[in-house]
Amino acid sequence: MKADVDTNKAPGAPMYASAEKIYPREMKGRWDSLSKLATITLLGLFYVVPWLTWDERQAVLFDLPARKFYLLGLTLWPQDFPYLAVLLIIAALSLFFFTALLGRVWCGFACPQTVWTEAFIWMEQWTEGTRSQRMKLDKAPWNWNKLRRKGSKQFLWVTFSLWTGFTFVGFFVPIRELGPELLTFSAGGWATFWTLFYGFATYGNAGYMREQVCKYMCPYARFQSAMFDKDTLIISYDEKRGEPRGSRKRGADPGTLGLGHCIDCTLCVQVCPTGIDIRDGLQYECIACAACIDACDSVMDKMNYPRGLVRYSTEHSMEKGETRILRPRVFVYAALLLLLVGGLVTSMATRTPIILDVIRDRNFLYRELPDGGIENIYTLKVINQRDEARNFRLTVDGVPGIEIDGVSGPVAVDGSGVLSLPVRVRAPADSAYGIMNIWFTVTDVEDPSITMTEDSRFLGPTP
Amino acid sequence: MIKEEYRGTRQWSRNSQAIAIVVWISFLSAAIGTMLFFALFDPVDLTGIFDEDLDIGREAGYAAGFFFFWVLSAISSAVTAWLVRTAPKRDKKRRG
Repeated sequence: MKADVDTNKAPGAPMYASAEKIYPREMKGRWDSLSKLATITLLGLFYVVPWLTWDERQAVLFDLPARKFYLLGLTLWPQDFPYLAVLLIIAALSLFFFTALLGRVWCGFACPQTVWTEAFIWMEQWTEGTRSQRMKLDKAPWNWNKLRRKGSKQFLWVTFSLWTGFTFVGFFVPIRELGPELLTFSAGGWATFWTLFYGFATYGNAGYMREQVCKYMCPYARFQSAMFDKDTLIISYDEKRGEPRGSRKRGADPGTLGLGHCIDCTLCVQVCPTGIDIRDGLQYECIACAACIDACDSVMDKMNYPRGLVRYSTEHSMEKGETRILRPRVFVYAALLLLLVGGLVTSMATRTPIILDVIRDRNFLYRELPDGGIENIYTLKVINQRDEARNFRLTVDGVPGIEIDGVSGPVAVDGSGVLSLPVRVRAPADSAYGIMNIWFTVTDVEDPSITMTEDSRFLGPTP
Repeated sequence: MIKEEYRGTRQWSRNSQAIAIVVWISFLSAAIGTMLFFALFDPVDLTGIFDEDLDIGREAGYAAGFFFFWVLSAISSAVTAWLVRTAPKRDKKRRG
């Protein structure tokens, strides 16, 4: 809708008593378009990605029941957990990096809380109308119109939330099977539970809690100022230009009235989803959504004043008119990021597609054989990370004459399969004493460059 | 001066704030804890440790682990929040 600006008196007539909840006013503008684009892109990704296929399986599937993660062509195993940990550190560092440069863009445009809240506000606007209509509706007694509007809002919210919960679970169990199962109530109990759980969380967070989450519950909102400096992009009100604020007739010269450019229309306050007044300066409630910029620009256009009374700027730019983008903190974050991303990519590119785990049988120290040899028992887990079946040769070394008993020739492991192999390892009596370090090696028969070694202990009698 | 009617005045009471923070932060901790824990241990391998006859699936194992971590960290968060909020006021005064 178009903002109606009455230049003589502040809109939002006093017939609306003190609001119990925040009714953010809708506002069109450059930043609103950007935010819509971000919301549609991010939500689109979320709802579409689980339906994509890659090599006849779900392209992105964190298959928890099978303990395997599929990311496009990549299969990750629990043993690849360090990658996930590094990935999380990279995500955190990126957040620091972008916060130092651009302030709270994450909050304003990319945070799931913002994105889903935005979607829920759209549904609210479709069913209940504009800000003043919503306020009026909430004040009105229950009648057919109110019931119909509130009812359709709830219907949209609940449906959307359930679909969101279903999509979320679809990242963890195959979504094409989950969908029909949920509809016929034959899905597993836990899949159903998590669908409802995530759906309910979405409904509560985006429908009701909204900005309260940012204000009271978000740790990032509290500590983001630590990444800020005077060159960080923030939303600021140009006090020098705006003050003294005051209402005036359209076309009146502010100079002769002794006024600044702020006409005190309070639109910037009305559009604010966290209910602050940006003209009071930077406040930690500000999530940098830029709604107030759009609001103020639209008023400046009407008044024929230049835009940007409220604008994205930096403290330095406001004081001295210039901003330093390249500064030590940005370099440090960027260098750390490059280092980690480089390391992760190299490590992933050069990783061997085979994993060997050795578990020593702890209930069993050692056994002396009739021929005087010493025997220990292990379970070898060979994981083939390739999609096709491979043959592997197992060897053990570290003690003179040590050998694996009962495994002759190579062992076959299915594509993306795990072979759990209990083995007896024997060493001659004269070489096995006390605790000795040994190592198992698994080697691909066809391609000996694919090999992995894992250490273990071999126990013998105390010398 | 902005009249309150233009501004959202909705604010949570201190109790609602505390509950929301405790629930949310312990949820985050539990999510991280669950992820780390089950990256190292397979619930199917673990059930045998508690009870030989316990035969629950992986998904139930994950859920049990998650709620265990959630309850544990919620208790920790709640007690911490309560102690911080009910600390003797006099200390504050003396420090100035």
